[in-house]
Amino acid sequence: MEKNKIISIEHLTKRFPVGKGEFTALKDINLEFRKGEFAGLVGPSGSGKTTMLNIIGSLDSPSEGKAMVLGRSIADLSHQEAAALRNRHIGFIFQEYHLLPVYTVYENVEFSLLLQGMEASKRKKAVMEALEWVDLTDKVDSKPAKLSGGESQRVAIARAMVKRPEILLADEPSANLDAKNAHNILQLMKKLNQELETTFIFSTHDEKVMQYLDRIISLEDGKVVKDEKMKVEF
Amino acid sequence: MIKFLFKGIWRDSSRSRLPILIVSIGVFLTIVMSAFMAGVMGDVVDMNARFSTGHVKVMTRAYADNEEQLPNDLAILGVDSLEKALETQYPHMQWVQRIRFGGLMDVPDEKGETRAQGPVSAMGIALIDTDDNKGSEGQLLSPEVQRLHIAESLKSGKIPQAPGEVLLSDAFAKKLDIQLGDAITFFGTTMYGSMTFKNFTVVGTVAFGSQALDRGGLIVDLQDAKQVLDMEDAAGELLGYFDNGLYDDESAQRIAQRFNQQYETTEDEFAPVMLRLKEQNQLASLIDYTERMSGIFVGIFVVAMSIVLWNTGLLGGLRRYSEFGVRLALGEAKGHIYRTLIYESVLIGIMGSVVGTLAGIGVAFWLQEKGLDFSGLMQNVSMMMPTVYRARITPETFFIGFIPGLFSMVLGQALSGIGVYQRDTAQLFKELEV
Ligand SMILES: Nc1ncnc2c1ncn2[C@@H]1O[C@H](COP(=O)(O)OP(=O)(O)O)[C@@H](O)[C@H]1O
Ligand SMILES: [Mg+2]
Repeated sequence: MEKNKIISIEHLTKRFPVGKGEFTALKDINLEFRKGEFAGLVGPSGSGKTTMLNIIGSLDSPSEGKAMVLGRSIADLSHQEAAALRNRHIGFIFQEYHLLPVYTVYENVEFSLLLQGMEASKRKKAVMEALEWVDLTDKVDSKPAKLSGGESQRVAIARAMVKRPEILLADEPSANLDAKNAHNILQLMKKLNQELETTFIFSTHDEKVMQYLDRIISLEDGKVVKDEKMKVEF
Repeated sequence: MIKFLFKGIWRDSSRSRLPILIVSIGVFLTIVMSAFMAGVMGDVVDMNARFSTGHVKVMTRAYADNEEQLPNDLAILGVDSLEKALETQYPHMQWVQRIRFGGLMDVPDEKGETRAQGPVSAMGIALIDTDDNKGSEGQLLSPEVQRLHIAESLKSGKIPQAPGEVLLSDAFAKKLDIQLGDAITFFGTTMYGSMTFKNFTVVGTVAFGSQALDRGGLIVDLQDAKQVLDMEDAAGELLGYFDNGLYDDESAQRIAQRFNQQYETTEDEFAPVMLRLKEQNQLASLIDYTERMSGIFVGIFVVAMSIVLWNTGLLGGLRRYSEFGVRLALGEAKGHIYRTLIYESVLIGIMGSVVGTLAGIGVAFWLQEKGLDFSGLMQNVSMMMPTVYRARITPETFFIGFIPGLFSMVLGQALSGIGVYQRDTAQLFKELEV
C-alpha cells in the first residue's frame, strides 16, 4: 500500500507575489496519489489546478508544506535534478498541444529521448511504438501545422508517453477539441493508463473528461473541497 | 543533438535568415577591407622595394643619415668588391648597385640654343646588362629592367640598349615637349664636387604609376651615371633582393644584423650599414598603422554586429518562449537550453561567415583584377605609392572573416540568451499559457 504511493502532498501552500502583496493560489492542500490512478483536479478557472500540476511536475515549488513526488521533495530539487525528474518520469500534455513547429511528428516525439541520450536504434523503436499507440504511424514526417487538433493532441500524448513516465500530467487536454476527438483521446489515455500503469492527473472542467475519471478532486479558491472515488478499487 | 539544432535552424528561416544576413554582411566587409588593405600594403611595400629600398640596402652611414639629399659625395667606395663579397656570402640574393642623383636638364633646339630646361631627378640602374646577357644581343632584359617593370611601363620608344641612351618619364617628356630621339644635356656635380655634363639621347618614355616616380624622372644606365658623376667603383646604394622576389622580414633582419656586426666597433662614418626594407621610408610605421586601422575596423564591426545580433536574438527569443517552455516541460534543463542557443549561434555564425567569405572573396577578386584608380587624388603625394590600388587575396582572406563572424554571433546570442537563463523555470513555463 505505502509502496504504491507515488505522490504525497502535505500542508501545501503556494503564494505568488502580486504587485506589493501576495496572492495565495493554493491553501494547505493535503493529497495522495497512488500508482495507476486516473484522477482529475476539477474546478472553475483560477481555482489553482494548473498551479497544482506545475508543482507536482517540478516546474514550480511550494511556498510552504511538502510535495513528495516519486520519493523526491520538490522543494529541495536543483534545476538539473528537477529537469532530470521531468525528463525520465513525468509527462506533460497541454491544452494548446505545444508541438515544436519546425520539427516533424517523429522528431517531436523523439525529443525527450534525445535529451536522455538514448541510442539511435532504441530511440527509433520507442518512437514508432508510441506513434502506434496513438495511431499516427502514417504521419511521421508531417509538420505540426498540417495536423488537425485531434491529431496534434495525439502527437502530444505520444511525446509525453514515449519515455514511459510514471506520471502524466494533463492540463485541460480536451479544451480545444470537439466531442468526438475529446472522447477519442480520453479513451486512448485510459487504455495507456491500464496497459502501462501510468498515473494520470488531469486538470479540467470538462464534463466529458470527468466521466472517465476514477477520482475527482474538486478545487475552489485554492482549497480541496471534495475528493471522491468514482469506482470501486481492487 | 547538434543535428537536431541544425534542422531547427535550417527549417526556421526566421531564426536563421536575419542573423545569417547580418553576420555575412559583417564578414563580407571585413574580408573586402582586409584583402584591400593587404593589396594596398603589398603594393606599397612592393613598389618601395623595387624602386627604393630593396629588400635590404647598403649605404655608408653618412649617406644613410642624409639619404633624402642623395649625397653621392658620401657614396660607397670600392663598391664592386663589396658587391662580390655579398654575392658569395648570400648566393640566394641578388645584389645591384644604384645611383640616384639630381641635376638640371637642358633641351637644345637645332641651333644648340636652350629650348627647355628643368630640374630632374635621375636614377642610374643596370639598364644594359653587362654581366649576364652574354650573346643575347640586348634581347634579354636585364634583371633591373625586369625588376622595375620597365618593359610594362614603357609608354613609347624602346629600352636603352647602348650607352648614352636614356628613358624619360612620360609626363615630364610631355611637359618639356621632348620627342623620341631628341638629345638632352644633363648638368650636375660629380661625387667630388666639380661641375659635369653629358649628352644623352631619349629613346623611350615611361610611366610607373606613382606620382613620386613619374613627376620628373630620368633613367640612365648605371655605367653612364658612374661616368658622368665620376663614380668609378662607387655607388650610392647597394640593394639586395631575395631570389623569389618576396620580402621576408625575418631573414632580412638576420642578414642585416650579421652584416652590421662586422662594423660594430668602427666609428668611421663611411663604414657601410645595411638597412632592411621595414627600416626605410617609414614603412614600418605605415605597416603598423594599417594593421592597427584594420584591427580597429574589425573591432567596430564586432561591436556593431554583436549589438544588432543581441537585439535580433532578443526578438527571436521572445518568439521562442513557448518552445523553451515545452522543452523545459520535456525535461531539458535551463542551462542546457542556454547552451543549445550558443551552439545554434556557432552554427549560424559559421553559415554566415561562409556566405560572407564567399561573397567577400568574389568582390576582393574583382578588386584584385580591376583595381581602383586613385591617381586623381594623388597629384601631390610625394610618398612612393601606386596610383591604382588592388585587393590581394591571401591565405588570411579565407579565414579572417570567421573571427568577427563567429565572435559577434556567439556574443550577441550569449547576451540575449541571458534573459532566458535568468528567468524562473515556472515563469518561462507560464509563457505557455497564452
Ligand atoms: N505566476 C503567477 N503569479 C501571480 N498569480 C498567479 C501566478 N500563477 C497563477 N496565479 C494565480 O493563481 C490562481 C490560480 O491559477 P491557476 O492555477 O492557473 O488556475 P486554474 O488552472 O485552475 O485556472 C489564479 O488566480 C492566477 O491568477
Ligand atoms: Mg489552468
